[in-house]
Amino acid sequence: MSTAPRSFARPASSPPRLPPADVRGVRAFLYTHLFQSPLAGVFTFLLGAVVILALWHIARWSVVDAVWYAPDNSAACRTATGACWAVVAEKYRVILFGAYPYDEQWRGGLIIAIWLAWGAASATSLLAVGTRLAGWALVFIATILLLKGGIPGLAPVGTDLWGGLPLTFIIFGGTIAGGLPLAILLAIGRRSELKVVRFLCVATIEGVRGIPLLALLFFAALILPLFLPPQLTVDKLIRAEIGMIVFFAAYAAEVVRGGLQAMPEGQDEAAKALGLGYWLRMRKIILPQALAIVVPALFNDIIRAFKNTTFFSILGLFDVLGATKAALQDPNWVRYGTEGYLFVFLLYFIICSAMSLYGASIERDTQRRVRRAN
Amino acid sequence: MSGSPHAPQRRELVVEMSGLNKWYGQHHVLRDVSLGLASGEKIVLCGPSGSGKSTLIRCINGLEVFHEGNLIVCNIRLDGSQESLAQVRRKAGMVFQNFNLFPHLTVLENLTLGAIYARNEPEDGAIARAHGLLARVQLSSQTWKFPGQLSGGQRQRVAIARALMLEPEVMLFDEPTSALDPEMVHEVLDVMEELAVSGQSMIVVTHEMGFARSVADLVVFMDQGEIVEAAPPESFFENPATARAKAFIGQISHAT
Repeated sequence: MSTAPRSFARPASSPPRLPPADVRGVRAFLYTHLFQSPLAGVFTFLLGAVVILALWHIARWSVVDAVWYAPDNSAACRTATGACWAVVAEKYRVILFGAYPYDEQWRGGLIIAIWLAWGAASATSLLAVGTRLAGWALVFIATILLLKGGIPGLAPVGTDLWGGLPLTFIIFGGTIAGGLPLAILLAIGRRSELKVVRFLCVATIEGVRGIPLLALLFFAALILPLFLPPQLTVDKLIRAEIGMIVFFAAYAAEVVRGGLQAMPEGQDEAAKALGLGYWLRMRKIILPQALAIVVPALFNDIIRAFKNTTFFSILGLFDVLGATKAALQDPNWVRYGTEGYLFVFLLYFIICSAMSLYGASIERDTQRRVRRAN
Repeated sequence: MSGSPHAPQRRELVVEMSGLNKWYGQHHVLRDVSLGLASGEKIVLCGPSGSGKSTLIRCINGLEVFHEGNLIVCNIRLDGSQESLAQVRRKAGMVFQNFNLFPHLTVLENLTLGAIYARNEPEDGAIARAHGLLARVQLSSQTWKFPGQLSGGQRQRVAIARALMLEPEVMLFDEPTSALDPEMVHEVLDVMEELAVSGQSMIVVTHEMGFARSVADLVVFMDQGEIVEAAPPESFFENPATARAKAFIGQISHAT
């Protein structure tokens, strides 16, 4: 008889049960995260004290001692020790609408309402992606019509008077609406088998990525007109917008290309085997999957595009930041720039956070459906 | 070829290749391959890995280009033109080792996509046919699921149904069971056998010798890019003519 193995395994039958109490619950959390050792406990108390102190000071300045309302040219603010939010109450129309004619500013208000409403509606995953995008296209068209006027019932307003949040929205919307398709074309072109197409796409992408956005905008808005014949005057806003679109597209193209390269070869082959032509394969098989892969990186670029709209203030166009700067020139309120800019900061923070959440929801949506076969 | 497309004859060739040569750089991967598949018959291609059998089957619907020789599929000469490629692909269904289902589409959409967009079929007609084919591969209950929710065997059966949506004159199988867990191989082979019995012309690259024995009209053994031996299954397995085939059969039967 050969010797029995000393290694062993013992069959057991034990019904599933919850983990023991010391790996779940509040006490376990406190222990593992905050008070694992005496030193960790000391740090928890020290850092906790610093955080509470800081929060108290911020609250005192921004809420307890703050002045919310100062009707007679900031007089009430001068004696206060806290924040002077009255500056926002006084200047919000300039901040939000810039130099747009006062009597027509309801149009800007309507635009902001439309954007917020559709932004909220399309953040829920109740609507199909196609519906959301079609809605955004309509929102964008409505924004232009409302701002521009010139249709029955709306007086025309020149682009030099556009400003504030509606201008920021329209610059941003145009950048994405024009930039994303261009980015996709550049990404596809960069992988083309035709040398000329590939070269043109690489040259565009690398060329634009090598220029600072500011230089590109200056060139488009201020220098380009010097070289063009005087008959060919294009609106400054549109020239700068084209600069924004190209800049966005150059970066987003590389993101999209990353998605295209992550696609397994077999997807394209399977689509070929079904007899689908190149553009159908792109539209139905490759791009939907490739774009789903790059949603997080793409939202990175989209959020950056929103913040890049602030560059327009340098060209003499009054986006939110430019309008705020102009509003704070008022000698009565010039001392309360901090509060004014904090308000703008909050505005950007809320909008950008909303966009991150939006991106995350799209990501979850696609992830739920696109579980890689194999 | 004799036999007009209007009156298909029993012995009409659906795939006919002669003197096919292909290189990857300097490497000669297909060497003077000549082969014909008669309508309604089944060829099983076997051979060690790297023998060129996958390359060969992928040439038939133009996923690989060849450099010399003639290839006629369903009366269409593959001359490198986009037009001939498009026509052949509408008549030859392909099933891949890795399924290659479209993960962002439901099972039903996987089936109807080609019919609607490549064959321009009306949508409800395509959907009706898709339901029929899903019933045929016994996956009616999975119609609305996504590929990622299916087992390997189910995925490959969906892939077969997707290829059948083309109403193909020839079905090409490129190692359809090689990526499957052993317990799922049978459900796929059963579907393929049912298909074979129904009279579908097929070329199958596989290591499943049991399937080759029961289904193949001709077993073609390839090695190093050339056809070494071609014989009906009984004589190929019982009495291989070449030493290379004998060695291969020995290795395969050890493995299973």
